[in-house]
Amino acid sequence: MDNSRLSTVLAIPRRPWFWAFAASAIAYFATLSLTEGRGGGELLSAALTFASFSAIVGLGQMFVITLGPGNVDLSIPATMTLAGTLSLKFMDGAAALILPGLALALAVGIGAGIFNYLLIRLLRIPPIIATLSASFLYQSLAIWWNRGLRIKPPEALADFSTGSLAGLPNLTIIGVLIALMSWVVLERSLFGRWVSAFGQNTRAARLSGIPVETVRAVTYIASAVLASFTGYLLASFSGGAALNMGTEYLLISIAVVVIGGCSIAGGNSNVPGIWGGALLMFLVVSMLNSYGFGAGVRLIMTGAIIIAIVAAASGKGRSA
Amino acid sequence: MNTKAKLLGAAALVAVTLPGHAVADTADKRIALSNNYAGNSWRQAMLESWAKVGDKAVEDGVVAAADAFTTSENQATEQAAQIQNMILQGYDAIVVNAASPTALNGAIKEACDAGITVVSFDGIVTEPCAWRIAVDFKEMGRQQVEYLAGRLPDGGNLLEIRGLAGVFVDDEIHAGIEEGVAEFPKFKIVGSVHGDWAQDVAQKAVAGVLPSLPEISGVVTQGGDGYGAAQAIKAAGRDMPIIVMGNRQDEMKWWAEARDENGYETLSLSIAPGVGTLALWVAQQVLDGAEVPKDLTVPFLKVTQDTLDETLAATPEGSVANVEYSQEDAKSVIAAAK
Repeated sequence: MDNSRLSTVLAIPRRPWFWAFAASAIAYFATLSLTEGRGGGELLSAALTFASFSAIVGLGQMFVITLGPGNVDLSIPATMTLAGTLSLKFMDGAAALILPGLALALAVGIGAGIFNYLLIRLLRIPPIIATLSASFLYQSLAIWWNRGLRIKPPEALADFSTGSLAGLPNLTIIGVLIALMSWVVLERSLFGRWVSAFGQNTRAARLSGIPVETVRAVTYIASAVLASFTGYLLASFSGGAALNMGTEYLLISIAVVVIGGCSIAGGNSNVPGIWGGALLMFLVVSMLNSYGFGAGVRLIMTGAIIIAIVAAASGKGRSA
Repeated sequence: MNTKAKLLGAAALVAVTLPGHAVADTADKRIALSNNYAGNSWRQAMLESWAKVGDKAVEDGVVAAADAFTTSENQATEQAAQIQNMILQGYDAIVVNAASPTALNGAIKEACDAGITVVSFDGIVTEPCAWRIAVDFKEMGRQQVEYLAGRLPDGGNLLEIRGLAGVFVDDEIHAGIEEGVAEFPKFKIVGSVHGDWAQDVAQKAVAGVLPSLPEISGVVTQGGDGYGAAQAIKAAGRDMPIIVMGNRQDEMKWWAEARDENGYETLSLSIAPGVGTLALWVAQQVLDGAEVPKDLTVPFLKVTQDTLDETLAATPEGSVANVEYSQEDAKSVIAAAK
């Protein structure tokens, strides 16, 4: 056994994303201990499916948060709802319109991202306020467009979003592919370096010739596009868009970034942690539900677990 | 006396004797709807019913205005400010679907003190000066278990899907379900999750808890969550239990399809979004000087195997089964409460 491989293995617990995966595994086995191991495959497949939604919106949020203090996209739920509502109404159950529907959803994302950025750039509104107020606009547009009626997705699209390939849910495959692309962008591309530099010190980044405004614009657009794509998938998966379909993804998108070991102050993010956090958010709730805890206890424990993991991850990160 | 005068006299006589006589007294009255939330299909149907019945009432000259206002953030503080604005705008009656049963009491009291009639419905308020049109949510929970007891005499395991934690309606329906289980002890609640009255949330929560549960013979719900539960159970490859539905069109459609395929039978019950129009008429009756008890009960809307096709056909795609109330309905609800 050569030394470098050993030290790689030993270094794993010091990775910022390690704790999210470790805690997910604990929650998984704690749930299964109730049934003496029955339903393990079922739970894993459910976790992989539902974590995909959180992971995709979480990746978008991660890029935004990497830009540094004050940067966060609060319009994710409304963008999801708007994209889901518009595209499902447009497709109206017709299989031939699946791809144009997807294009429409992505166009909604691009539009929302540009609008968010323009509010921040031209009106100099802080991102938190800009994306929050924009989200009222998107939500109202979604209400006005279809009055909350649930239109069914085309049969083929519904089958695809609930189906799986070689045992892996299709959504998971998509989620992992997007994560891989994000990893390449963040860790291996010039753009990723720019995003991190922006988050570490915007002024220094600008002085060193980085087109900071382009970086910020692309990041907000990417976040909105990932949100709109998730809205399209979620609406197809759950049998129709609903006006409140994005609500829980506001907290989740931020939580997975924090749990995943990214710096909330920006400048330092990692992609695997997003998937770890997404799995954890699903498995913790499933575990607490399975143990029969009430909503109050569940919320308290979810909060406590998030704090514990963030504390553990940041403690290890500092020593590394 | 010429013919014209005779005709006028006859018309006047008819106007006096018609039940619509009361109408004239509220013709100059303005009614406002204070609504705390609009972000789901039930609330959208509620607002639509209000607009339809309210516009008709204005057109017919029964009332001068029936305006609807919705707060954006579903916050009691925001709604209290909204009610204070309505007082300043000089509305004669405020119909309110409240964000909280207690937090608006101050604003409601101010309205009453300004001589404004306040009628609360669905999300009712505890302030004594206001009228309350309540649904017996507890009974809605209890009847689900009663129905299951009729279908499954040997009892069995139940999965409970609750609504939004911390909301009054969720606690009431849950209490009713517990009551039902106490009444029919052969049933046991083996799992309980919060579906937040949303299909996608319910689907996710049920998918997470299902692997650790034994066989389920019934699912008790709160509405807006039955379809999501069915999707999750289907994805897990389990036998389909009896899922009590909540009148949403997608739930009823799924039910009808399952019935055609394998004879699936269940029950669906929920509160009709048109209850807002009942509140409108009750407010009009109070303004008209009718004696109206402070606490009124509105029956919930039930869909059975026999009425499924009819209700499904009458419900717009993606919406929720609805009933709009008339002035006559309001009068009979008032008479029943006396």
